[in-house]
Amino acid sequence: MSERERESADKAVDRGEPAEAPQEDPETPDELETSEGPGELRDSAGPDEQKDPAASGEGADGGSVRRGRVAVAVGVFGELLITAGLVLALFVVYSLWWTNVLADRQAKKESDRVREHWAADRGPGDLDTRDGIGFLHVPSMSEKDILVKKGTDPKELNQGIAGYYTKPVKSALPQDQSGNFSLAAHRDGHGAKFHDIDKIDKGDAIVFETKNTWYVYKVFETLPQTSKYNVDVLDAVPKGSGKKARGRYITLTTCTPVYTSKYRYIVWGELVRTQDVDEDRTAPAELR
Amino acid sequence: MYGWIWRHLPGNVYVRILISTVLVVGVVFLLFQYVFPWAEPMLPFNDVTVDGAAEPLGTPRAGGAA
Repeated sequence: MSERERESADKAVDRGEPAEAPQEDPETPDELETSEGPGELRDSAGPDEQKDPAASGEGADGGSVRRGRVAVAVGVFGELLITAGLVLALFVVYSLWWTNVLADRQAKKESDRVREHWAADRGPGDLDTRDGIGFLHVPSMSEKDILVKKGTDPKELNQGIAGYYTKPVKSALPQDQSGNFSLAAHRDGHGAKFHDIDKIDKGDAIVFETKNTWYVYKVFETLPQTSKYNVDVLDAVPKGSGKKARGRYITLTTCTPVYTSKYRYIVWGELVRTQDVDEDRTAPAELR
Repeated sequence: MYGWIWRHLPGNVYVRILISTVLVVGVVFLLFQYVFPWAEPMLPFNDVTVDGAAEPLGTPRAGGAA
C-alpha cells in the first residue's frame, strides 16, 4: 500500500468509515467490483450482469449468470483441491518430522529417568521394568541407544522406543536361560528407531544394556522381506532363521520398504556372551 | 473461498495479512495436534509388528494398527 493510500485509510478510520473505503481506487478494480456485492456469488456474477444487459436480451443474461455461478463453483472446487493437497503435504511433514521430534523428546526424558533410577540403585534387581527394561545398542544401525519397554502397541512404540512383544508370541527376556527376545520399533516417524535396519549385516553386534549386565548378541541372519502375518519369526526357535535348537536369541522387527508397511524386515541375533556392568558402565568392546 | 475470507477480514492489508497468518497457524496447529494423530492409526504407513496370523487372513482386527 502506498503512503497516499495509507493516509486516506487513516482518514477513513477517523471519519468512522470502514477501512475498505480507500480500496475503491482505480488501481484496484478487482477489489472495487467484488467488495460492493453482498455475497460471493453475486460478486463474481456482478460484472457480467452489468455488461450484458446492454449487449443482449434476457435469455443471454440468465445464461451468463449461470456461467458465473458455474465458474464460482469450479473455482471453489479448485481451491478445495489445492487445500487437500496442502493438507496431505502437511501430513507428510507431520509423519516424517514432527512425530520424530515429539518421540525423541519423550524417549530422552524416559531414558534419563531410567538411567537416574539405575544410578540411584532403586531398580528391583537386574531388571527395572517400570519405565523400561534397558537400552538396545546396534552400532551398525544407530549411534544412539534405544530404550526398550514392554509391549508393541502403537501407544508404546510411538514414544520413540523399541518394545518387546507380549503378543502374538510372548517374548523371552535377555536373562532367561533360553528363548527369543523379540523387539519392534518404528522404521519412519515416531523416532524411527529402526530406520537403518537394512544397514545391519551378518556378524554385526547387537548389545542390550540392563542395569547390571551387558548382553552381547551377534547377528546370524536377516530376512529383508516377509509377510506381516509371519509371526513364526518370533518363535523361541525362530522359523526361517536356520536355527533348529533352542538358544538365547534376539529378534528385531520393523516395517519395510521404508515409508510403507507392506512387509516386515527381520534381523536375528544369538547371545555370544554377557558382561557385568562395572562402576563406570564401561561399554563392551563391541560398542567401542 | 479464500477470496471471500480475505474480503471479509477487517482492517487494512497489513492487518489482514496478520489475521490470515494467525488463521493459517491455527489450522496447522489443529491438524498437527488433533486431526493427524487421530487419522494416523487408520492409515497403513506405520505398522511395524508381525501380527495378525492368529486370525484368518483378511479378518479385520480389533485395534486396527499393527
